[in-house]
Amino acid sequence: MAESGITILFGPSGSGKTTTLRAITGIIKPDDGHIEVGDRTFFDSQTGVNISIQDRRVGYVFQDYALFPHLTAEQNVSYGIKERTEAKRRERAREVLALFKVEHVRQRYPQNMSGGEQQRIALARALASDPSVVLLDEPLSAVDVETRSGLLDEVAAAQARFRIPFLYVTHNTIEALRLGSQVVVLDKGRVKATGLPTEIFKLSEVNNV
Amino acid sequence: MVWESFKLSILVVTVATVVIATVGLALGLLFAKGRFVGRELLASFFTLPLVLPPTVTGFFLIILFGRHGLIGEPIYRITGWTVVFTWQAAVIAAVVLALPLMVLSARAAIESVNPQYELASYTLGKSPLATFFRITLPLARRGILAGIVLSFTRALGEFGATFMLAGNIPGKTQTMPLAIYEAVISGDNKQAQVLALILTAVSVVAVYLTAKLTRGALRY
Repeated sequence: MAESGITILFGPSGSGKTTTLRAITGIIKPDDGHIEVGDRTFFDSQTGVNISIQDRRVGYVFQDYALFPHLTAEQNVSYGIKERTEAKRRERAREVLALFKVEHVRQRYPQNMSGGEQQRIALARALASDPSVVLLDEPLSAVDVETRSGLLDEVAAAQARFRIPFLYVTHNTIEALRLGSQVVVLDKGRVKATGLPTEIFKLSEVNNV
Repeated sequence: MVWESFKLSILVVTVATVVIATVGLALGLLFAKGRFVGRELLASFFTLPLVLPPTVTGFFLIILFGRHGLIGEPIYRITGWTVVFTWQAAVIAAVVLALPLMVLSARAAIESVNPQYELASYTLGKSPLATFFRITLPLARRGILAGIVLSFTRALGEFGATFMLAGNIPGKTQTMPLAIYEAVISGDNKQAQVLALILTAVSVVAVYLTAKLTRGALRY
């Protein structure tokens, strides 16, 4: 995976994109293989290494966000912050909320937010927990087309600011072209191609992915 | 008789409900999340008192807790005390008979929580225990509360197994349902009416509360 920038995991549904994310997170355990992020080994079937989900520090933005419905936006964001005092956690949560321009929904519960706001809170929650990598599972599939464009810019801006690798799952060519610094094409659970977005999508026209 | 049996029922049901809520929640969690061989078999075992005649359950309890019982004998040898025909026996009967309602409700409530929330909590660095108390439990709250109300009501109405294990000693083990029985067979209709009214009122409130908790708008 690219050290920085946004890597796009691209492929049709059923190609193993979500499974790949879940294996990196540690939600599922692969039968065999090797998972490495930066210089840290998360999983290795040969040596028996399998770091727990909690210790992997993987920020995960779920497809439907999975915001905790019984917690406010601010409580959602502060949930994963590793500060000792409540006051410090709240302070940090407000900083991150401000960064994503969603301070106004601070006291709101997820069911009282728009799709775009929920998406921002989900990204803010993942980033506030100080992850070593952020995984996004088709994060824009639940928002309408008009909101989408603005959110794409924010995902790119967030990556540039936090300077940690993002792995972004999508089957949308426009999203891949606008965000990707690198594209990995998956098909039937195997990597079919890796390269720059411009190269990949010229190729794929030929191959009909 | 009314007042004494009322006081005793409150004591028995309060203790029983505390035990049921704790044990039932733990078992509900075990059956909802545990992955082990024989899980459904064990879950069925704890549901059994719901379908067995209470006198049969009571009979098994005598075998277990009697002076020569599997549990009763060691207790008698060490302490010289036997639980049979004490108010604690009424608690045991109420716990065993009402526990299935709590286990079933707690399990269903925990299973109804979308596992994505728990996974999200893990990715945010929280242990399974912290996740249970901060995510699963608050989200399953309504179903768990409904289970507590239901089992409280079932415990309050317990008759058969209580009669078998605790007997019918006025002021000592005679709870309200037993007092009604006593009042009716001795022809004291007035007392029976008062007791029946109290028990019916409590049950109506409990059923209403359960309906509110489980069918009400999903608020968190």
